[in-house]
Amino acid sequence: MTGNATAAGVRRVALVGRANAGKTSLLMHLTGSLQRPVNFPGSSVECVESRVVVDGLELVVTDLPGIASLQATSRDEQLALDVVHGRTGEHQDVLCVVVDASRLPVELAFLHSLRRLGLQLVVALTKVDVAAAEGFPIDAARLQQALGLPLVVVHGVRGAGVDELRRLLATVPTDVVPAAPGDAALAPGAAPILPARTVRSSRTDRLDRVLLHPFTGPVVLLLVVLVMFQLVFAVAEPFIGWIEDGQGLVSAFVGGFLPDGAVRSFVVDGVINGVGSSLVFVPQIALLIAFVTIVEATGYMARAVFLLDRLLRGFGLSGKSFVPLASSFACAIPGILASRILGDERDRLATIAVAPLMSCSARMPVYVVLLAAFFPPAQAGLLLFLLYLLGIVVAVLVALVLRKTALRGGDSMLLLELPAYQRPRFRLVLAHTWFAVKGFLRTAGSVILVATMVVWALGYFPRPAAIHERFEGLRAAAPAGEAGLAQRAQLDADEAAAYLEQSWLAGLGKTVQPVFAPAGFDWRMTVGVLAAFPARELVVPTLGTLYSLGEVEASADEPDVRLTEALRTAKGPDGRPTLDWLTALAVMVFVALCSQCVGTLAAIRRETNSWRWPLFTFGYMTALAWLGAVAVQQIGRALGYGA
Amino acid sequence: MSTAVVGVRYAVVAVAGDDDLARRLTAHGLWPGAVVERLRHAPFGDPVLFRLHGFRLALRRTEAERVTVVEVVS
Repeated sequence: MTGNATAAGVRRVALVGRANAGKTSLLMHLTGSLQRPVNFPGSSVECVESRVVVDGLELVVTDLPGIASLQATSRDEQLALDVVHGRTGEHQDVLCVVVDASRLPVELAFLHSLRRLGLQLVVALTKVDVAAAEGFPIDAARLQQALGLPLVVVHGVRGAGVDELRRLLATVPTDVVPAAPGDAALAPGAAPILPARTVRSSRTDRLDRVLLHPFTGPVVLLLVVLVMFQLVFAVAEPFIGWIEDGQGLVSAFVGGFLPDGAVRSFVVDGVINGVGSSLVFVPQIALLIAFVTIVEATGYMARAVFLLDRLLRGFGLSGKSFVPLASSFACAIPGILASRILGDERDRLATIAVAPLMSCSARMPVYVVLLAAFFPPAQAGLLLFLLYLLGIVVAVLVALVLRKTALRGGDSMLLLELPAYQRPRFRLVLAHTWFAVKGFLRTAGSVILVATMVVWALGYFPRPAAIHERFEGLRAAAPAGEAGLAQRAQLDADEAAAYLEQSWLAGLGKTVQPVFAPAGFDWRMTVGVLAAFPARELVVPTLGTLYSLGEVEASADEPDVRLTEALRTAKGPDGRPTLDWLTALAVMVFVALCSQCVGTLAAIRRETNSWRWPLFTFGYMTALAWLGAVAVQQIGRALGYGA
Repeated sequence: MSTAVVGVRYAVVAVAGDDDLARRLTAHGLWPGAVVERLRHAPFGDPVLFRLHGFRLALRRTEAERVTVVEVVS
């Protein structure tokens, strides 16, 4: 119990070190949990802050983004340096430098530069076991002696040494900073503590022989990606089903208390549906983040980046774009968040701008319904593959154009350390996933909720009494009891369709429809596309209502038979079918290329800290989607296809 | 360093330039005297994986070209 910090009762500690040095894991052991992510003003970078009380003194420990030098080359690093220099408004009392023993010489050079800041340093030496396995056993006592700094060996997985570190952080004097033991002992390259390498081939070397092999390397990578897709599409499916069932139960329960009318419709179709539309993303996002975190923690992610860098660079991206782009096949929102790992700002912006072109899982129900309605199964599978390919090819072209125009120049860097392979920590994976889901619900989820309510209002109002009276009359004319049940249900569905047909949303659809006429969309399809704005899940239910089918569920594997039938047989006022396979194809191309998803746009807004990029992304994707749909329709017609 | 051969140990002589990349290379341990070894390369021959100071660093060929090395006889 020393120093000025005791008087205040609070001592601020910043965890400083390279990415992957084991900071987050250490924080969890130090304070027992990851308590809250903190946003620093003027940046979207998140740090985790956690508190623990040691002998009446409160330690506030902040986990900073990884830094390797006192010169920032990315936004994350700039923030970490601002905190270290006390430029964020809060002075740090102690810097806890997390030193990765397996990279000791480089870490010592960095430690040397940190000493010049004049702050009290405490060294937490991690990964001593990794260093030993790699052939560099480290003598911690001698290292401490040479450094002249308080030093504790900690074990990131078991948490050994953490109690001592915690006590040290709380008691180390903050007013007297020990002088460096002379520059010579710590000058770059001089590392007398480090023995000569003894092991020729470590476990990591042996694994790399397979995982980075020119042939088996890409094969394993492909398998990893397949597992990821399987998680997102197959494993998440039952969870999504439960959320949808739960939404149905809640709607039925709450709806039972409310009188039929605007209030019930608002609560059920606006609020509960909006919450459901956000929650339905959670299983996929959680599984995806958990998987990515595990792959990252094992050390394999850096290998994937290494294998893919040359290929992706040909497309104006970087190997590091792989994670955000692969994630975007589940949902562009976590993909855009994952783009933070890209150090180069131009690479990052190009990746963000093309991420929504990856066919996300929310587009699936639209594809499935239209493919089932207009194509035989054999063709449907091929077309589905081509739709995915279309997104990828267009993404590559857009990235290339961007890098030649708005994002020209700049030497992007790779400079990637491939860490030794390690077992991932379950608690860390859980914590990461939890924060990602919370972040999603806070940013994208709230926007999706609001947008769902807006679309609800547009689709609900106005409700002329004339329609109600007309259908009341028809219902009265229907036979009473069992006999008229089906007829009355059909009348209810017709009434819902009649209401929707003269709603503001339909008015909007009919106004906008001429724009989509060259693509062959009728006003109903136009309304369906407009309703996709809050979330693409709404396309299928909206079409269901428009085609007088009552409730229709969006599904990624079993399309609603009534809807596919209705789409096939729908006739316009002139008696000709409104949809044929060519128009269906045009709709799917539109859906594949458009970025009508407020959640994605909100995520882009947040990650780029400007309105320019979300507006640009929305603009170019809508333009491309329209052009694509029109091209399909017009070229198809010119070639004599379609009805 | 971009033309380094597998199985030969090299010592860094200098890092060319005074930009972000040069500073990053140095911060990652490529300072004069550091000993590097080429381990392997990715498909298409780029990037290249090196071992230095006991860890593994992947560099694009253009990045490795910045670093001048000499063979170490040992």
